[in-house]
Amino acid sequence: MPTPDKSMPRKPDKPFYFNTSEHLLRIGSQTASTLSELLQALESCAEDSIFQHTFRTLQEHHFIRQGFSNDFAHWILSACHEPVLAEKLASVDVREFTAIEGLRKRMIEIVDEFLKKHPRSGSHQANEPFYFCASDIVVLPTPFVAESLAGFLDGLQHVSVHSIHHHFIEARLRLHLMSNDFSQWLEEEAGLPRTADSIERIDIYTNTMEGVRQQIARIVEQVLN
Amino acid sequence: MKSKEQRAPAISLVPGPQNGLEPENGVAPEPPTSLPVRGSARQLPASLLTPPAPPPPPHLQDYQNIIGQAQVDALRFLARDLKGKTIKMINSTAVGGGVAEMLNRLVPLLSELEVPAHWDVITGGNDFFEVTKAFHNALHGTPYELTKAAQEIFLMYNEQNRKRLQFDEEMVVIHDPQPLALVRTRQKSRAHWVWRCHIDLSNPDAHVWEFLRPFVEQYDAAIFSSQSFARQLPIPQYLFYPCIDPLSEKNKELEESQIRKICDELGIDRSRPIVTQVSRFDRLKDPVGVVQAYKLAKKYVDCQLVLAGGGAKDDPEGAVVLQEVREAAGNDPDIIILDLPPWCALEINAIQRASTLVVQKSVKEGFGLTVTEALWKGKPTIAGAVGGIPNQIIHKLTGVLVHSVEGCAFQIRYLLTHPESARRMGLSGREHVKENFLMTTNVKRWLLLFRILQQALPSRPA
Repeated sequence: MPTPDKSMPRKPDKPFYFNTSEHLLRIGSQTASTLSELLQALESCAEDSIFQHTFRTLQEHHFIRQGFSNDFAHWILSACHEPVLAEKLASVDVREFTAIEGLRKRMIEIVDEFLKKHPRSGSHQANEPFYFCASDIVVLPTPFVAESLAGFLDGLQHVSVHSIHHHFIEARLRLHLMSNDFSQWLEEEAGLPRTADSIERIDIYTNTMEGVRQQIARIVEQVLN
Repeated sequence: MKSKEQRAPAISLVPGPQNGLEPENGVAPEPPTSLPVRGSARQLPASLLTPPAPPPPPHLQDYQNIIGQAQVDALRFLARDLKGKTIKMINSTAVGGGVAEMLNRLVPLLSELEVPAHWDVITGGNDFFEVTKAFHNALHGTPYELTKAAQEIFLMYNEQNRKRLQFDEEMVVIHDPQPLALVRTRQKSRAHWVWRCHIDLSNPDAHVWEFLRPFVEQYDAAIFSSQSFARQLPIPQYLFYPCIDPLSEKNKELEESQIRKICDELGIDRSRPIVTQVSRFDRLKDPVGVVQAYKLAKKYVDCQLVLAGGGAKDDPEGAVVLQEVREAAGNDPDIIILDLPPWCALEINAIQRASTLVVQKSVKEGFGLTVTEALWKGKPTIAGAVGGIPNQIIHKLTGVLVHSVEGCAFQIRYLLTHPESARRMGLSGREHVKENFLMTTNVKRWLLLFRILQQALPSRPA
């Protein structure tokens, strides 16, 4: 585990408001039954579809420790039986992107490159179609507002995993920074840059969201102790 | 034909669709009037001969131990901005079937959150319900000759109900096709109108769909149970998965002593692995395929097979299928066939909890709530990759999907001999249900939809 800050945290000027987001799944009109159709749809679908099948699906499947990354990779493996392409798409880390367009571009590049090398794979019929969906999102407050590091730890331990996802994963799309709400607050308000960095480096793909919560809590506890 | 003595033991009580099964469009079954014939020496307890009194509906806080306080808080926050706004739910039956069962829980929970929900049931004559039953089958893909008379009957009863009912609420939700044409009153109402379609529209009879489509298009939104059930429509379509109630008799936690008692009464040996399928005796559930898979697996691993079904007496085809299952089972004493009455939810619960593995080897399926029930109980589950099952089973993560008898047999062998893999899968399956397929998630979806419609279309002229 990385070393936390040695200096004492300062009293934050601004509290940390724990929020959460709830999503309602909307069924889109686009479907894909082959990899070529998937590529076309990736190029033309709405940004909120890309968000749904990458960022949002991680929230829906927050209890899986490994083996699930995004809906595109899962469909390509289970319905198209193309493990090489599935593996490449699954290795795309959503946290490397601060905007959906960049993520879309990366997905398109990977599928396009694969189909150029394996043109016959493009027209194979999948076992079942891929249905493009999107989410309508409602952001909600929680009862937890942290005015100190101890309060932050308390809130962290009580909010839902949806709140953790909201602040830790989706945040970069709001912030347009390679960071998250927790790290931002810990660095800017509590003066704990190393702690903030340690939290940002937690691997979401080898942890459940509950595991992520526990790791963040352990890092903060180290500072408090 | 094998003699009766050569058949697998079976217990048969009464006709009727069975609890634990995908609910059918129909009426509540009647209790038996006499002690039915049993298919074997295994005795069923007399307590199963009459339905138990229904328990009172739970309160929101009763779910706190299951979903956590944070999720209960989220429901309260979601409801806060909707306080006092009202919802009307309309369907075609007050008892029997999955929609009524779901509304019985949903309506009190919404009202407890101070979003008062009212539930009305449309009325109609036999001619109306004959037409709507035919429409139901046609929308599932059965060819149907749509006559002018059928259209007139459908419209006449909808018009009668439209005049009889009040539509003063802020959101009106119409369940399934029977009351679909009530939407013609929307011009006089201030409500947002939502159509909740519980059936699979992926391959409907074209004539019936073209007749109904203009009504659907008048709604503000439509809701389907699976992405694959939806149609191309000019209105927003949302995905609401069917759900189970974790506090119902069928799904609540049971004491070990209760499970033991029920298994003892039904002749299930808990000292050896138990593979179970809970399903009507229906070819679409492939019970004969399950027996074949069990027999292939049993060459390598010791286990018992429990087929807990129903519907063999009221449905001529069900009786034929039960006979086929018995013949396939032969004289294997480890195959236990249970034809249980529809109120045996507690017994189904105990059987599922006692099982080592659960199988749902359907070849066609709606959503497959028996899969949801098994996953909720943390059971490693093997199921056919059809209907809504792939929404529930993420292959090798929350269960396993199979496409053949041989594949099913292999997975039974594998999971019985790799208990740690099976345990992990079971845990993930339960979490998947907790996240997506519980009654509380359903309440959340309704609140979200109501808020979204209020924000998108804030004021509808009355």
